[in-house]
Amino acid sequence: MNLEFVGATQIVLGILARFWPVWLSLAIVLGASYFYRKKLGLYGQLFSTGVGIAGLAICFFWLFTAIFASRIATFDPLAQVAVLKNAMPGAIAPETSGGGVYLLGGDNLARDVFSRMVFGSQIVLIIAPAATLFALMVGITLGLPAGYYGGRIDALLSFLANLVLAFPVILLFYLLVTPAIVEMGIPRWMAGVFFLFPIVFFLTLFWTRFKNRPDRIWLYMGLTIVIGGWIYASLVFNADPFRILSLTPNQLNIFAAVVFASSPGVFRIVRGLTMDIKTRDYVAAAQTRGESPWYIMLWEILPNARGPLIVDACLRIGYTTILLGTLGYFGLGLAPESPDWGTAIKDASRLLRSFIHPALPPTIALMSFVLGLNLLADSLREQSMKD
Amino acid sequence: MNEAVRNPEEPIIEIENLSISFFTRKGEIPAVMDFSCTVMPGEAMGIVGESGCGKSTVSLGIMRDLSNIGKIVGGRIKFRGRDMGDMSEEELRAIRGNKIAMIYQEPMASLNPAMKIGQQLMEVPLIHDKVSNDEAYKRARDMIASVKLPDPERIMRSYPHQLSGGQQQRIVIAMALLSKPALLLLDEPTTALDVTVEAGIVQLVKGLGKEFGTSMIFVSHNLGLILETCDRITVMYSGEAVETGKIKDVFDRMRHPYTQGLFRSIPLPGADKNERPLVAIPGQLPLPQDRPKGCNFGPRCHHFVEGVCNAAEIPMIPVDGHEGHFSRCVRFNEIDWAAMPPGAKKSSEPVKPGAPVLKVTDMRKYYNVGGGGMFGGGAGRTVKANETISFMARESETVAIVGESGCGKSTLAKVLLGLETASAGSVTLGNDEIQSTGIENRSVGTVSAIQMVFQNPFDTLNPSHSVGSQIIRTLEKFKVGKNTAERRQRMLELLDLVKLPRAFAERKPRQLSGGQKQRIGVARAFSGAAKVVVADEPVSALDVSVQAAVTELLMDIQRKNKTTMLFISHDLSVVRYIADRVVVMYLGHIVEQGTTDQIFAPPYHPYTEALLSAIPIADTSVVKKHIVLEGDIPSAMNPPSGCPFQTRCRYKSLVPDNLCETQLPPLKDLGNGHASLCWLADDVLAEMEPVISFDRDHAAHEGEPEDVVPHRERSVPGGDPGFAAPPPKRPRGKRAAPAAGRLGDAAEEAESRGRTRRQETRDESGGQKAGAPRRTENSTVAPFKQAEAGSGRQAVDPDAPSAFEPTEKENGKPRRK
Repeated sequence: MNLEFVGATQIVLGILARFWPVWLSLAIVLGASYFYRKKLGLYGQLFSTGVGIAGLAICFFWLFTAIFASRIATFDPLAQVAVLKNAMPGAIAPETSGGGVYLLGGDNLARDVFSRMVFGSQIVLIIAPAATLFALMVGITLGLPAGYYGGRIDALLSFLANLVLAFPVILLFYLLVTPAIVEMGIPRWMAGVFFLFPIVFFLTLFWTRFKNRPDRIWLYMGLTIVIGGWIYASLVFNADPFRILSLTPNQLNIFAAVVFASSPGVFRIVRGLTMDIKTRDYVAAAQTRGESPWYIMLWEILPNARGPLIVDACLRIGYTTILLGTLGYFGLGLAPESPDWGTAIKDASRLLRSFIHPALPPTIALMSFVLGLNLLADSLREQSMKD
Repeated sequence: MNEAVRNPEEPIIEIENLSISFFTRKGEIPAVMDFSCTVMPGEAMGIVGESGCGKSTVSLGIMRDLSNIGKIVGGRIKFRGRDMGDMSEEELRAIRGNKIAMIYQEPMASLNPAMKIGQQLMEVPLIHDKVSNDEAYKRARDMIASVKLPDPERIMRSYPHQLSGGQQQRIVIAMALLSKPALLLLDEPTTALDVTVEAGIVQLVKGLGKEFGTSMIFVSHNLGLILETCDRITVMYSGEAVETGKIKDVFDRMRHPYTQGLFRSIPLPGADKNERPLVAIPGQLPLPQDRPKGCNFGPRCHHFVEGVCNAAEIPMIPVDGHEGHFSRCVRFNEIDWAAMPPGAKKSSEPVKPGAPVLKVTDMRKYYNVGGGGMFGGGAGRTVKANETISFMARESETVAIVGESGCGKSTLAKVLLGLETASAGSVTLGNDEIQSTGIENRSVGTVSAIQMVFQNPFDTLNPSHSVGSQIIRTLEKFKVGKNTAERRQRMLELLDLVKLPRAFAERKPRQLSGGQKQRIGVARAFSGAAKVVVADEPVSALDVSVQAAVTELLMDIQRKNKTTMLFISHDLSVVRYIADRVVVMYLGHIVEQGTTDQIFAPPYHPYTEALLSAIPIADTSVVKKHIVLEGDIPSAMNPPSGCPFQTRCRYKSLVPDNLCETQLPPLKDLGNGHASLCWLADDVLAEMEPVISFDRDHAAHEGEPEDVVPHRERSVPGGDPGFAAPPPKRPRGKRAAPAAGRLGDAAEEAESRGRTRRQETRDESGGQKAGAPRRTENSTVAPFKQAEAGSGRQAVDPDAPSAFEPTEKENGKPRRK
């Protein structure tokens, strides 16, 4: 079996060329942002340091890769070209299978490593931020009253949070994917509870602020219920009437597990921030004009906790990405053929002694994305403190 | 021992034309420009100025401890004749902490919380003098004793958090003194402390020059403190020294309009809210990047002359007749220093208080602490935050509630506003009892009838919402206006009321200065039909010149709306200026209450007496009795038995049978509503002498050249509230006072005792002939003239945005509606 290869230069140029939609979008977005950075507030200030620009560039790179994945990838992530099993980078696929180059080689099942890495970004970039967002909602909705009221509510919620934090995460995941437990419907119940939080959150948010303004309140409440209900139905019951959103049972498991594991962290941060901010005079001013506690929490305290929360969210997307990788590595998460980075690393790790090249691209991708998020978080923290 | 004393002729530190800049991403920002000063051995130099004027940067520059973005861009600092710029890092390290020591504002931040006091103190001689452990221990212990802390052995074994704020600051001072520094830099050393504690620290600092021969640079915003501690003063404005000279020269015959503006905006004895209101400086401090050409103070100065003041940079110009007195004003010889600013308003009629609006009867508030929580076992303890509080406030009246931290005044405010409910007693607002109605159960009318102005301007507005939307929200809650458009209109009218431009509605709080934020806070409090406004130290966090403007604004609105104001404060000079009646609190008890006159005149409650004596007054003609309280305020968790004040009271021995320690004193009625919580017998009270009195001789020809015939005037009955004597007339400078008076016998006695230190300074300068003997002939008439023109505030709005208003566009999200 004689394979033909392209040279190293051609591999590099080939990869760079495949990413052309990403480069173009990066140039447009970063260029425009840089040009208008003075008017863009905190986001614009990120452009004043190299760290900030690097963080943004890396995050945007993966974001655009996920968006344009089908245009960048050279092959179907699941397609196999039998002769290219464990082929070295630059191997040219035979004409019979449609031609083309395995830019980063083939894996153990003769799939294109490059295309799988590109498509893997889609999975990571959808699940990680979304799961973080839900964790944020859960953490905020529980953390605010714990910090604001203190006392028994705080003691109870903090105790629960500590309980979750004390539970070994991996064991938790093992339990959640155990067939017996899935059959009992526990993950679905959990997701059902977690996904309720955003709806409750937004309803409370609008109700506290606009309850005396009939011109707006019904519009906002209605929108929240319609949109929230639609998303809820599609995600939890997989019953989207429009067939736009869907979540496979496996994905639902992962989602529930990740939200469950990371919301206590958010909870503790929000609780601490609330305890600090509630001593400020503007909170007392709101109290003395007779505002309800939830108005104060959501409209007076939460906006001022946003700085640390944004930084934490950035870092948390990174953790979640790693968590997804870990889950994939243990084979707990998604379908075995899924191209996500964690699963790819697991698959490649079996043959690490003989072939290192299938393991490297997903590893580097995972690492660079998390690094980008961390740089972004660092820079956000620094810039928000300067103000 | 101290090197400083060896060569008394050589200055300890000479600063020549020092310029310091900070290099930020916005470019170079000059923080200090052309600053010169010389400090001789044993001398104390005060640097005074408002926030942002560069006074702290100077002291950090001397230490060469500017952060990595700060740089000395010009001038020299010579320490004992050696240019510090030429010294190596190692030499500088040997000087820092050893020859030059610094004391910062926040004592807790200067001490290592993980080390015992003893260890921290011993480090100094161990490192700098390489002495043995025993010797270091001995020196540390002796030093603790000499900063007048009790039980040095115990303190050596304590951790910093086990000491009170005042004790910590004494330890910081002890640490600084242990290396026997030649120069001590004090950067607002007492700002974080309570007044009575501050008085103790001031007394300690004052003695340092004599006792240790230490020179001092004392940085403060408080002119009164500078007067008490320093020999010379430098006034800074916007990065420059604008006036420097001997305390007496600068205080009595200032020759820079900014210095005069500062004096006119602080409530010195002699100011009166109806007859002689404070005069604020218009405009605000320019940002460093847009300082004007020529005189930095030009745009705010009513003596400004186009083409003269802004022609070229102005050097320090010597003032004739005063040694070492310089002013950075080109026109100081042409200015009529006695004239009041143009457009000053006539005095206003005193307000007649109406029917009682707020009545508090026997109110108590106890807290249970400890216990609770999921795993918190054990019974909690009770903190008695308020005990038997009874007072009354009438319509249009200002009642001041005075006390130091922990006295329960904030708890009282919380109960009044409904944030807490009272444990016992009653609070009546109008005809409604509100003591047990929490804010959530109060009707909209009650909520809007009692509102609050908060202390910290940087905290009073939510930084996330625009100013306008915050006021509109308040209006919405108070059910003012039918729809958003009407509320918006009302909000704009409220901005007019507090004299802010309507464009501010769209701004975020961070784009406003402290004074402007506080104005918004006032607008918010008055947005409903407030009957009672609780003002919790509304101006104490503001700069002096802005303080006056906000105080006047508050009183204007109050007068217009016939609102009752409860003015919570620890600053008795503001209280004397603003209040009609005063309630003095200590550890949850009302210890004395009465009209302002009754409180400020004997007989005093011993605590009131100490408080009065503790306020630093920036007036060279005032003579104070010095009463320094021992110890600290006891914790409310563990109050003393009997009288709450018995642990610190100096009259305790005069009460028989140890009553003070065993029984709570009765509220003694001293007539006309004046009541005092004290065991002292009538004869002791009758013998009390006034704490503050005037040295009229001095005041009468304050700053005058010596050839002026001293004048004696008729006494006018009913002078300044509460002082032993009416305030003296001041021919020039600070304030035009219409009445001159004769001192009471008691006052004279007190005066002769308290005057010693200032007498000396006066004698020194006695022989000199002040230059420019202008207005000599009519100087006796002058005061009356000034009185006519001399009252009223400026028509120009003092805190209104000037040319230096930050003009950055709002870049936040669109306003929420």
